[in-house]
Amino acid sequence: MNTLNGTITTIQSHEGISLVKVKSGNTIFTSIVLDSPETVSYLKTDYPVKILFKETEVIIAKDFNPNISIQNRILCSIQSIKKGVILSQINLVSDKVSIKSIITSNACNQLELKENDTVIALIKTNEVSLSPND
Amino acid sequence: MINFYTHKMLQTADGKLPLDVSFTVEKGQFLSIYGNSGAGKTTILRILAGLTEAEKVDIEVENEVWDNSQKKYHLPVQKRSIGFVFQDFALFPNLTVKENLEFALQKNDTPHIVAELIELMELQSLQNSKPQNLSGGQKQRVALARAIVRKPKILLLDEPLSALDDEMRFKLQDYIIKIHQHYQLTTLMISHTIAEIFKLSDKVIILDKGKIVKEGTPSSVFSEEKISSKFKLTGEIISISKSDIVYVVQVLSGNNIVKVIATEDEIKDFRIGQKVLVASKAFNPIIQVIS
Repeated sequence: MNTLNGTITTIQSHEGISLVKVKSGNTIFTSIVLDSPETVSYLKTDYPVKILFKETEVIIAKDFNPNISIQNRILCSIQSIKKGVILSQINLVSDKVSIKSIITSNACNQLELKENDTVIALIKTNEVSLSPND
Repeated sequence: MINFYTHKMLQTADGKLPLDVSFTVEKGQFLSIYGNSGAGKTTILRILAGLTEAEKVDIEVENEVWDNSQKKYHLPVQKRSIGFVFQDFALFPNLTVKENLEFALQKNDTPHIVAELIELMELQSLQNSKPQNLSGGQKQRVALARAIVRKPKILLLDEPLSALDDEMRFKLQDYIIKIHQHYQLTTLMISHTIAEIFKLSDKVIILDKGKIVKEGTPSSVFSEEKISSKFKLTGEIISISKSDIVYVVQVLSGNNIVKVIATEDEIKDFRIGQKVLVASKAFNPIIQVIS
């Protein structure tokens, strides 16, 4: 699990669903949650939270500005790659924060990923969980 | 009201561990103590009962001092108004159910309480049986009744239901509620079952490595929103196996086994038997109608 620390910057709620923006370092993450400021106490501006997402939900792209729907985009460099037969773990670092991605080894080969490459990590809004950090 | 404070060095499997706790229980309250094995739960009950000594101890029950290590005061076990029920069925094998209850009477007690307890705990048909002819649930019902014979102020229950099957547990929980209310007891129970704690207690304390890490009502302690994920279950890790560069962790939750992928870094903190929360977002699961 990837865990980053951040603070809530904005909350947009409608009928029980909230779109929450969280700042971590210089990156703004967007998370969608089935909660609202009325149902949970931590959904408020400036509240410290943990941003959680699974390694297997982190997409790697070499195109820095892809025209796709994914909202969370983090510029990273590849620190190391652990290659397996089916899966590979890409250890990324962005702004001193480490993020891990697990993709298929086929995808890793196809993108010709190697150490020190600059890539972007993409995470869908609905793959990001939040946890109050207190 | 019980005011309890103790400091005691415990010898555990992992070496020395200081037990350092302080809590209060209101008169008539039902308090549960929850935590891992070796956290010091039983020691707390034993210190309160006067069965175990501690380096520092300060216990007051309804303004009466039971222990004060500074003043070197210690009220002996037999003078403490306490009923105790353990996990194992500690009945006298050669006495009948009724005789087991009568044995607990003190000199000047009226035997009326025995008849009352036999009725309240529905032991009429069993009162002349010997413990060997009783089921586990029946024995524990007798043990509960016997703990009340002296009309204690405080009832201490150390995992009294853990050796019983679910059906029996539910029945016994009802009997525990009944006597707790009927005799206006202040009850302290050690339990590993969250559902049981919800059903019985007004207050729960969570003990970890000799310290209270959390206390409050069961719902404030256990239902706290720790994560925004809505697809959650709690269970126990039953296996961890390597699969390519990741690990497959099997978690048993109720009668279901789920499998979750974890990384090598994560499994360093995992071990078989560990209680875990498995969470995913409400957006991920698919629902199919079972025909």
